[in-house]
Order: sequence, then C-alpha cells, then structure tokens
Amino acid sequence: MTIVEIQTGKIYPIEILPVKSIDYKSLSKARYFFDWREEREAETYKLTIKGEHDILGLVSLERIPAEWRIHIRLLTVSEENRGNKKVFENIAGNLIAEVSKMAVAQFGKFACVSLRPKSSIAQHYVTKYKMNVTGLTLSLEVPEILDLINEYDHD
Amino acid sequence: MTSKEKTINIDPEYGVDSRYKTPKEKAIDAVALMEARLERMKNLPKEQILKAELLQLRLKIENYLRDPDYDNKNDFAHFLELYVDTIYSKRSEFAEDINVTPVFLSKVINKHREPKDEFILKLMIHSEKVFKNWGDFPKELWYQVYFHEKLSNTMSSQHKWSAKLEEQVKVSPTIVK
Repeated sequence: MTIVEIQTGKIYPIEILPVKSIDYKSLSKARYFFDWREEREAETYKLTIKGEHDILGLVSLERIPAEWRIHIRLLTVSEENRGNKKVFENIAGNLIAEVSKMAVAQFGKFACVSLRPKSSIAQHYVTKYKMNVTGLTLSLEVPEILDLINEYDHD
Repeated sequence: MTSKEKTINIDPEYGVDSRYKTPKEKAIDAVALMEARLERMKNLPKEQILKAELLQLRLKIENYLRDPDYDNKNDFAHFLELYVDTIYSKRSEFAEDINVTPVFLSKVINKHREPKDEFILKLMIHSEKVFKNWGDFPKELWYQVYFHEKLSNTMSSQHKWSAKLEEQVKVSPTIVK
C-alpha cells in the first residue's frame, strides 16, 4: 500500500498498525481533529510511511460480527493533509481499504464496511469509493469492497 | 478565517465522525442496512462470491504468517482444506486436477501425512492458474505457510527437545570468550 506526495509525485510505501498507548501523547486535537484518547476503548489504527513514526491518518472501528460488518467510527487525515494544500494523497483511501481487508478476512463474501458521515460529505464517499447508500448509512460490500482492496492493496 | 480559507480547509476526509449517537439509531440502521445488503446479495454473481472467498483465504494466510503465536486451527492442512473446498464441490476433483490420489489428499488434509515437495509445487502451480482469473495470490504463500507451521511447531515444543539436545551440543571455549 502506498501514498503519493502530491508536489513531487513520489510514491511512499505505508503501513497501518494498531495505535499504541504511547501514540496518544502525540495525537493532538489540533492535528487530528478529535481527542483520540476518548477512543482508547475502540480498535484504532494509524497510518505511517513505512519505517517512520509520524502519523498521517487514523481510523477507529467497531466490529459487529452478528451483521458481518465493521463500522468505521472515526476517520481522519492529519491536518496538513486536508484541503487543497494537502501533502499526501490516498491516506483515507488506504485506511478504508485496510478496514475492508479486515472485513473480508473475517466475513468473506458477507463482508461489509459501513460509515455514517454527515450528509454534506456523504457524496464524496459515494463518488470516490463507490459506497452504497442506505438511508444515512454508506457501505461497501462485495463486489465494491473487492475493487477497493484491489485498487489500494499493492506496493 | 475568511470564507476562501474555510473552503480550502474543508475536506471530507478530515474529522469524519461516524459514531452512532444512540443505541436506537444503531439498531434502526442495522435493520435497514441488512435488508438492503441481502437484497443486493441476491444479484451477486457466483464469480464475485468465489473472488471474495479466495481473497479471504489469502488474507487469512497473510494474517497467520504475521502472527507469531501458534494456533492449531491455522496450519497448512487447514488452509489447504479451505482452498479446495472453496473452489471444488468434491475434493476428488481437485485430487484429479493435480494428479494425486484422493486418499493422499485426504491424508494431507487430515494431517495423517506430510505434503511432499512435489505436492506443494503442484499446489503452487494450481493457485497461480486459479488466481490468474480471480485476483492476486503470491504462489510462495503455500511454502511460507508450510515452513511457518514447522517453525511454530518447533518453537512451541522447545521444552521437549532442547534439554536433551543441548547435552550433545557444545561450543569450543576459543569461540566463546
């Protein structure tokens, strides 16, 4: 999995790993929008460039095995990677793809990743990640979930 | 902040709060989403189901290789069984396709026989052909699973073999100073 430095076009390999206790010290609300310490109880993952420590994006999730589903609770890129002046491309896409891989590994053909963003930004996820719309909930299932994994899961 | 700056800073991937506000909201969503998913699944082509199951197998194997803990349920035989049962309705058909007897295949799956090198090589070729159509599957994964299992077995049974063998192994004092 990789991200692209927009200014140079340079591609960087990334890794997505569980957030450790020590990471919370550096997860400021100013840079990562939320107080991530409030999410300590939730399964939370960080995206970094391989071999580096700086966290570029975060996602927390809830596994719902009874529904073969993983629900994304919080998702964010770091502050410098938002808007028109973002440094890297594909941070959120990789995080969603990683959650999708977890869902397929756990639930196979029934795998589902869901998201319930504000309606003002929902269309972005429908357009960019081909998410299905059910009321206020967006979701990825087979086959779209497989396409997304194929798109992002490469070196 | 000016309205222009605000526009620049708005990003649908920054600060996305998707948490359910109440259990009721979650429950209502769950029902609606499940109904919609089941409806969509009715129209799902068989090829997509197979593709999902094969990707699931690959991801499970990759997770197993990353996990240093030994789990009896996950081993070469288990993954082979998943592979065969995902693709074939009868195991004997797979045996025929890779030119081994159904009895041999059954013994490998049930851990009554070790897979020979030739068997693993045939499995690699078979996977390569299958995944050519259905996605990515590094063919060396089968060997990695096999040796990961060997290593895990060896390390988890260290208490059984190390004391006895340590008596037979010495290092010259000139080497260890």
